[in-house]
Amino acid sequence: MKRRNFIQKSTAVTAFLTLGGFSLQSFAEKSTKHITILHTNDVHSHIEPFPINDSRYPNQGGVARRATLVESIRKENPNTLLLDAGDIFQGTPYFNFYGGELEFKLMSMLNYDAATIGNHDFDNSIDGLYAQLPHAKFDFLSANYNFKNTVLDTHVKPYKVFVKEGIKIGVFGLGIELKGLVDPKMYKETKYLDPIEIAQDITQTLKVDEDCDLIICLSHLGYNYKQEHQKIGDLTLASKTKDIDLIIGGHTHTFLPKPTVTKNIVGENVLVNQVGCYGINLGRIDFYFDKDYNKASKGKSIIV
Amino acid sequence: MKKIIISFFAIILLVACKNEPPYIVKIEGKQLPVNEDINSKNEIEEYIKPYKEKVEKEMSTVLSYTPIELNRIDGELESSLGNLLADMCYQRANPVFNSRTGKNIDFAMFNYGGIRSGISQGNITVENAFNLMPFENTLVVVELTAEKIKELVNYLILAKRAHPISKQLNLAVKKNGYTLKINSKTIDDTKTYFVLTSDYLQNGGDRMDFFKNPVNLYTLDYKVRNAIIDYFKETDTVKVKLDGRLRNEK
Repeated sequence: MKRRNFIQKSTAVTAFLTLGGFSLQSFAEKSTKHITILHTNDVHSHIEPFPINDSRYPNQGGVARRATLVESIRKENPNTLLLDAGDIFQGTPYFNFYGGELEFKLMSMLNYDAATIGNHDFDNSIDGLYAQLPHAKFDFLSANYNFKNTVLDTHVKPYKVFVKEGIKIGVFGLGIELKGLVDPKMYKETKYLDPIEIAQDITQTLKVDEDCDLIICLSHLGYNYKQEHQKIGDLTLASKTKDIDLIIGGHTHTFLPKPTVTKNIVGENVLVNQVGCYGINLGRIDFYFDKDYNKASKGKSIIV
Repeated sequence: MKKIIISFFAIILLVACKNEPPYIVKIEGKQLPVNEDINSKNEIEEYIKPYKEKVEKEMSTVLSYTPIELNRIDGELESSLGNLLADMCYQRANPVFNSRTGKNIDFAMFNYGGIRSGISQGNITVENAFNLMPFENTLVVVELTAEKIKELVNYLILAKRAHPISKQLNLAVKKNGYTLKINSKTIDDTKTYFVLTSDYLQNGGDRMDFFKNPVNLYTLDYKVRNAIIDYFKETDTVKVKLDGRLRNEK
């Protein structure tokens, strides 16, 4: 207000101050930004809601309901990403009859932005997955599967950078070791690489080279393996890496009472979330950004 | 002069802008249930409809008929559905195995927990096959030493459960030990045996560890569910009985 008064009074310097004032104002307006991340995992071909008489999840889930929910959130905040952490396939006859075609088509209609690959997505073999790719209008991200000698070569990216309202969001994918879990005839020459090493490299790329403001890992590693220490879960991944803000998990069908807040290798907070399975929940994480260092220096508040 | 001032100002702004990355100041996380409180999006429901109708039509296709209800709980150490499952998988898989190896499968064994649903008296449909076997498990043949067969028998005795076993195996659990016949013969310690099971159990599912590290492993590339469907297709009326293949004589 004061500035406006000043501009009105001093005509001599109007030209550059108007320019400056305008710019300043536009910065001020955009100083706070809001990014919404929505996510699913292990939907396993559950297109329709569970029957009303289902013993575990009566009348829960359903893609058509998820569509309504996603749409209303997108209306509220257009700066929204919708992500899936794998195991899209397998679990209802829809997969057996159509091989994943309907799953991909519906996810495209819901405007999914990216997904990673779960072990069950190889259930019709890597060729079966490849055959359905034309139905998916979103990207498949996987950084630790090397598909070089397979049909998926060049069709799966390690990461993707989304820009929403000037905020650069780096999303990368990680998959579980397929050996012992999936018949080698199904995944063929797919090479599994150490997810921690890969995550350390990719986060550097995203942070330094791509200059990302927000880094998200889409993981199908599983939440945590208390008994089998050699297996890498999301909590282990979080503790051995840095610069990841959010790990969206899958595979273990873990229902969390709320997103887990854990520490990374340099003691910063990392959010780990997973929303059970079969599309009966939608995860929602909201990130609020500010350019004001004074506000930021007070640290980020995490409300879960 | 004015120009210089303007560009100077612009540079300052640009620099200021670039040097201030957006900081995360607040994160909120929650889980939103997808339930009946949310209306289904009509466009999506309409899109699903033709797929749904075709699946339903396919699933209701009648394959066979059973004059009695088939379930896994109508016997003590065997069951109507368990016997049927093991016998039909044997019947479908043995010709495949024989054509590839020139050998015959000795018997089939699955797990009680793997029978996911019973079949009511009347028509048997594709849906029944899917409910019985919702998983994509495939049939495998494991070649086991006689020692491993004895481990398998001990597992059965300790489990006290009606694990599906095909009729080629005959086991009577006695007070002190057991009597075992495979294809009407007592076990030969020098011989190896070919056992039909699923890839899931071979990998140690249900703690059937005797299937791990077999002498040889033969994959048949034949899904358990497809074997079930193929058997029903070629069988007008299913005939099954409790024949005491696995019984308690204590």
